[in-house]
Amino acid sequence: MFQFLFKYPATVFSKGTLVFLSAWPVWILPALITAAAVLLAITVWRRPAGERSPIRGGRKAAIWGLQTALAALVLLLLWQPAISIATLKPQQNIIAVVVDDSQSMAIPEEGGTRLSIAQSALGSGILEKLGERFQVRLYRLGSRLERIDKLQDLNASMPSTRINDALKEVVAESASLPIGAVLLLSDGADNTAGIELEMIRNVRSHRLPIHTVGIGREQFSRDLEISDVQVAPRTLADSRLSAYVSFRQRGYTGGKATLKVLENGKTLASRQVTLKQDGVQQTEAIAFNAGIAGAKNLQFVVDTLVNEENGANNSLTRLVNVQSNRPRILYIEGEPRWEFKFIRRAMEEDRGLSLVSILRTTQNKIYRQGIDNPKELEDGFPSRVEDLFGYQAIILGGIEVSSFTSIQQELIRQFVDRRGGGLLFLAGRSGLADGGYGTSPLTDLLPVLLPDKKNTFHRDPATVELTPAGRDSLICRLEDDPAANADRWKKLPYLANFQEVGEPKAGAVVLAEFLPTSKGRFPLLVTQKYGMGRTAVFASAGSWRWQMQQPLADRTHEMFWQQLLRWLATETPGRVLSSSPQPMLYDNGHLELRARIYDTSYLAMADATVEARIIGPENTSAVVTLSPDPLQSGDYTAEWVAERPGSYLAEVLAKRGNEEIGRDVLMFRREDGVAEKFHAEQNRELLETLASETGGRYYTPRSLSNIADEIQYSEAGIATRETRDLWNMPALFLLALLLRASEWLLRRRWGAV
Amino acid sequence: MRPRSSLIAIAVFFAALGAAFALQRSVLQQFLDREDDPIITPPDANEKTEWVFARLRYPSFRGGMGGYWAMRGNWAIDYPKADRQFVQGVRRLTRIHARSVEKVVDLDTDEILDSPWVYVVEPGHWDLTDAQCAKLREYLLRGGFLMTDDFHGTFEWDVFMASMSRVFPDRPVVDLENSDPIFHVLYDLDERFQVPGIVMFQTGRIYEYDGIEARWRGIYDDRGRLMVAICHNMDLGDAWEWADHPLYPEKYASLAYRVGINYIIYAMTH
Repeated sequence: MFQFLFKYPATVFSKGTLVFLSAWPVWILPALITAAAVLLAITVWRRPAGERSPIRGGRKAAIWGLQTALAALVLLLLWQPAISIATLKPQQNIIAVVVDDSQSMAIPEEGGTRLSIAQSALGSGILEKLGERFQVRLYRLGSRLERIDKLQDLNASMPSTRINDALKEVVAESASLPIGAVLLLSDGADNTAGIELEMIRNVRSHRLPIHTVGIGREQFSRDLEISDVQVAPRTLADSRLSAYVSFRQRGYTGGKATLKVLENGKTLASRQVTLKQDGVQQTEAIAFNAGIAGAKNLQFVVDTLVNEENGANNSLTRLVNVQSNRPRILYIEGEPRWEFKFIRRAMEEDRGLSLVSILRTTQNKIYRQGIDNPKELEDGFPSRVEDLFGYQAIILGGIEVSSFTSIQQELIRQFVDRRGGGLLFLAGRSGLADGGYGTSPLTDLLPVLLPDKKNTFHRDPATVELTPAGRDSLICRLEDDPAANADRWKKLPYLANFQEVGEPKAGAVVLAEFLPTSKGRFPLLVTQKYGMGRTAVFASAGSWRWQMQQPLADRTHEMFWQQLLRWLATETPGRVLSSSPQPMLYDNGHLELRARIYDTSYLAMADATVEARIIGPENTSAVVTLSPDPLQSGDYTAEWVAERPGSYLAEVLAKRGNEEIGRDVLMFRREDGVAEKFHAEQNRELLETLASETGGRYYTPRSLSNIADEIQYSEAGIATRETRDLWNMPALFLLALLLRASEWLLRRRWGAV
Repeated sequence: MRPRSSLIAIAVFFAALGAAFALQRSVLQQFLDREDDPIITPPDANEKTEWVFARLRYPSFRGGMGGYWAMRGNWAIDYPKADRQFVQGVRRLTRIHARSVEKVVDLDTDEILDSPWVYVVEPGHWDLTDAQCAKLREYLLRGGFLMTDDFHGTFEWDVFMASMSRVFPDRPVVDLENSDPIFHVLYDLDERFQVPGIVMFQTGRIYEYDGIEARWRGIYDDRGRLMVAICHNMDLGDAWEWADHPLYPEKYASLAYRVGINYIIYAMTH
């Protein structure tokens, strides 16, 4: 209809430029229209209306308006309006037809797979029509762009969709080939970071229109898709870990699903979740045991639901490096206490941590346990940075702050702030406020504002309850079920004592509170981040009753202390700390390796030699040298390409001369074809944006019939600028007729005819 | 005496007997009649502290010699002077926050679970019920520590083991090596000798019965930690109790204090 009325397709008007072919200056046109309007006004208003004339007032204005519009239209036609538009020269241009041939195109839709729909759309005369005017080049799009001879060469087998890279290649080809336009048929499920602005600019500079054809449903009606899994990339052997699995679903609101953690097909943990509303992101926690040391590929799975349309997006893999090293925790205690004994006993059962302790038994004697050699801690608490920084965490028990020299206090501060260690304060008659910590430099490290008074330590019973933050915390996780866990904490035997610690500082998190019989509730376990490290306070020295007052089989006391001290020590870095911003490589093996190297004082070391020894699938091995990062002293970087899919292990080794500084292990994994199964709904927004930003148009397979006509209007390739008359558009004649007829009808209605 | 008067006399007699029994029960709760050598209660007796000298009260063995031991409460030998005098040493020589007076615990309630260190005297006379054995086993495996003292010779050892073998049927009693941390945790106690009780004043011998040689024994848990420290053929309690007696040799009292303190600190660190 549009083309019948306006003679040309809409594309002509959207892309063309209005011109006037008359030799007369254009400025005369508005002048004449104005003059005509004035003359008509005089004519209309000067004509004596007479008392009986029905045309007066507003009716005259209407008549004048219609006559003026008709006069303007006639004058406009005298100036011979036309449209100037660039048009591809027939038989001299190439149309690049790019068909998505990734695995997501094999998803069944109404009427066949996505690929067969695309093939049908092109095969039902479109390619022939295009071929009549242009040379057509067929390409298949996936992880790369490949030219093909015929539609039958497509098989939806490519493991990923990289639209951005493919279009870059087409643009590059257009520099040497007369590519007049691109026709892209895809579901838009791009696996890269999206379409780069630079690529769009490049396409626009080549004036290459990209017409897109959206294939597939824009929304599944019954599907669940895992969008993300957050889990600590490193942990210690036998650690309890929590993973946070985010997903969305449609069609299963209120239903139940089973969330699992698998390692090599073996279920490590499983729990039922209730599904929230359609389209709403839902995050569920699942706890599991990391097991023995080693590189772990963990699968986080939601079991396929009944009649689910895409079951392949219910699983994500994450890498967890379960470290074999045993962080060492230095525990100094001012006097023999039961809490000391039972913490030691709890940690003796922990294969992942080593507790080294100094106990002041008398005024002049210390008793050391867990030391590596007779010299260790011989003089008591370390006074040298290299001695103290060899530990990963510190526990300050019931010991006055005055027991530490000012140098030792500063070392403790730097241990947390710069070295990234953990520091735990315990309650006691010589601890916290009663030990003078509130007025010492160490008060900055406390996650609480200690009360400005003495006698804050009370040997009275107090029960314990978790806060909302504590219910989510792995430190306090005694039961996997959050409600059962909170209930178990409430039922624990009472603490033998407690200490007032004041209010938590801003940014600190209260995980548990104690409830003494004297009413009220007060912070018991408070944690915070401080500098590069972390600190915590446990405001009791009476948790040992959890061990003595509960059956031997009960593991509450051991679990709590092991989890608290693992939190304290696990994230403390070694002297070599390797990382990668993207350890999961989807369809692209490009890896960025980073390492940070410290000296014994944990100052950045810029003169190290750093290399990564990589082993991977099918006996892949490589040695990669990391170069110093000029922007960040102590940082070293390298890039490497993992050619084969599978798991890789990189041992990063740092040396200075022949002296080994340390080593660290980094895991990464390449997975091909996995990303293709996610976000598999048609990304119409991306396809529409791509078309509109490049001067193209978004089509559906059903609206593709006019593509052969519309695609010719392009400035790319070999094009000529054509001028097409507009004066003979049926729409203009109809408009003239309409104006005249309207005037006549009005006059008739008013009785003037 | 007329029959009526006789009846009244009998009634008065039984009433008096009942009153005496009732009175005896109430003081038994405070164990006043069990005090070997009563001592004044110090003013800070009610102080809440980290450590308390916990003395185990147990039922005595009634067989063998016609119930002789039933006439005494063996658990209370040297009580409370030995306890309080020893505690003075603990307070003076260590940093342990110790209460000035002892407390008595038994295996019939859960109160013992609040005292992870317990002292038992003359276990060569004890006779634990099965329930008490189970309680003691659970107490020790959870982290409690038992120090035994003042029993001598073969017969008392057998009586001790009659109960202890029901506490731990599957754990051996072993002689402690000199290198064991319990002998070094504070004082190095490589040179140990037999510590006699005051019976030596009468007999002139430092041993009792056939317990000629002091035996330092113990029972370990699965992680090699001592749970039961057995001081056989010695009387540390007497040494604590009579440390202030001019005739009791200082060297015995000194060793007894050092052994006791080492055992406490070991219990608070292992």
